[in-house]
Amino acid sequence: MRVLLVEDDPLLGDGIRAGLKLADYAVDWVQDGDAARLALLSHDYDACVLDLGLPKKDGLAVLKDLRSRGKTLPVLILTARDTNADKIAGLDAGADDYLTKPFDLGELQARMRALIRRAAGAATPVLTHAGVSLDPAGKRVTKDGQPLQLSAREYALLLDLMTNRNQLRTRSQLEESLNAWGEEKESNTVEVYIHHLRKKLGTDFIRTVRGLGYQLGDAP
Amino acid sequence: MSATLFRTRSLRWRLLRWVTLTTIVIWSLAAALSYHQARAEVQELMDGQIAKMARLLLAQIHEDTAYLKRLPENMASLRGTKSRRSELPLEFQIGYADGTVLVRSPKAPGTPLTRSLGYANVEHEGKPWRSLMLETADGRYRVQVAHSFQTRDREALEIATKTVLPLALLLPLMIALLYFAIRRGLKPLDELADDVASRSPDNLATLQPATELLETRPLVSSLNRLLSRLATTLDNERRFTADAAHELRTPLAALKVQAQVALATRDPEESRHAMAQVLAGADRSTRLVEQLLRLARLDPLVQLPDPQPIDLADLAYTTIENARDAASAKQQKLTLSAPESGPQISGDPDLLAVVLRNLVDNALRYTPAGGHISVSTGLEHGTPFMAVTDNGPGAPEKDLPRLGNRFYRSSEAGGEGSGLGLAIVGRIAELHGARLHLSNGSQGGFTARIDWQVLPPAP
Repeated sequence: MRVLLVEDDPLLGDGIRAGLKLADYAVDWVQDGDAARLALLSHDYDACVLDLGLPKKDGLAVLKDLRSRGKTLPVLILTARDTNADKIAGLDAGADDYLTKPFDLGELQARMRALIRRAAGAATPVLTHAGVSLDPAGKRVTKDGQPLQLSAREYALLLDLMTNRNQLRTRSQLEESLNAWGEEKESNTVEVYIHHLRKKLGTDFIRTVRGLGYQLGDAP
Repeated sequence: MSATLFRTRSLRWRLLRWVTLTTIVIWSLAAALSYHQARAEVQELMDGQIAKMARLLLAQIHEDTAYLKRLPENMASLRGTKSRRSELPLEFQIGYADGTVLVRSPKAPGTPLTRSLGYANVEHEGKPWRSLMLETADGRYRVQVAHSFQTRDREALEIATKTVLPLALLLPLMIALLYFAIRRGLKPLDELADDVASRSPDNLATLQPATELLETRPLVSSLNRLLSRLATTLDNERRFTADAAHELRTPLAALKVQAQVALATRDPEESRHAMAQVLAGADRSTRLVEQLLRLARLDPLVQLPDPQPIDLADLAYTTIENARDAASAKQQKLTLSAPESGPQISGDPDLLAVVLRNLVDNALRYTPAGGHISVSTGLEHGTPFMAVTDNGPGAPEKDLPRLGNRFYRSSEAGGEGSGLGLAIVGRIAELHGARLHLSNGSQGGFTARIDWQVLPPAP
């Protein structure tokens, strides 16, 4: 899962990035509205955390711009104002949720999970497919009721595939989902982790669409 | 208590009191005047009556003195008939011109008949009387007719009373009517007072009285000016609080998130980093709170509490020395341009040090590494100035007028500043009778300059 964080405050931005990374998101962090617009134009994100008070281009403007281009990714806005005006304006401009500063890291993570889950069309918090269950809140994966140990990257890849279970995921999409900027790994990273996952979950669990990418295999 | 109540409580009662008092005074004067007029009138009338009687008596005179002597009795018997109240009790004496009295009415004053002819005021039984002396054409007989002034005055008083009494009786009615008239006249004032009194404390809309009076207009317009000033102040206050809350919440959010990251992560390196960020956040919050407190302390000041003589060049030198480390950390050049002996001003050295430090900090922050920052001071057109100039990118032209506002940050500025630094500088400058000017250089770069408007008094 790749997330764009737009926060101009260096301390808070650094903290949120670290906090989201702890929840295994690949986080791209930009500090002004222009950079946010560019990032949203050039990458597909699974979600966006957007501070409203930004230099160069206001957060609301970024949001309106994003929605006017038909992008539906979930956006959570951060506001430090007392008044509801900011929240209302933000929600009306196309935000899906908001948090008032200061907020709890756990709450931010939970809201992000819920936003991404709903955006993928799933209402239940636990994702299941072919006997495999993935609980994003507890970061637990079980196969046929037995807990399964996955590395952070294996987990991230599985989460992406299970969240987008009915879609074909290209290799570059999966790569983006794994790596934030400046963290790009060797080009065969995805293949390596797919290989590991297949060993743990069964060969048929992930289907290779040759030349295009990967998708979850048909449920038995 | 009741005295203050009487004095402050009711304009209505004051008005009523004065109007009534004035009315009574005027009324009394009118009564006295009409009494006097009536008296003069009565005098005229009475003198005429005396004269008529005297002539009648003169006409009665003949040689038969016995007849003459019967005259008082005859008249007394006439008195038996019901006499009118306005009939004057007239007394008379008849006699010879040599003073021999032939006959006199019982109460007639005993004025010698030898007195000069014509009207005279005489005294009889200790009271003033009016008398008329006439004599027959041959000069043998004389007649004196007199009557008491007391009767005359009573008559005059009666006439005057008749004119004035109805007015006196109507006085209470007049006061009552006056009360209602005043009440009605002052109604717009009452409405105004009600409007002000019934307002909720946060209703600072201007007053719009239903009836605008010439007299209340100045009051209403000064009230409205006050209200709008209050509204502005309150607005600023509210915005300041909201902005302060906003500015405090962001570092608090950072503190909280960083602390939670430090607790949650299993990577010791990451934990250490997060803890370092917590410390940095605490430092930043401290700075912000200090700035807020400084502003809060500066705000109520009208003038500097304890001005001292200051050499601006010394001040600039000290500031630069303190900023050396920060400048060299960014490979920035920091220079001083000041005359040997700098301009002398009177002010607060600590506050002015804050000014220079803030301006230099800003320049260091917004000028890229390798930049050049120059602090200068001196006299221009005879007035002192100090300025901090950098060769950084400058500020967007549209932001310049607002950079000195509290919490205002240029749209180009990063997240670190609180937006209070220049506001503090501006406020301190104001307290020193100086002004802060911000400008971009024509070749790029940014200048913050403090200009003393008038030559400050020699310390």
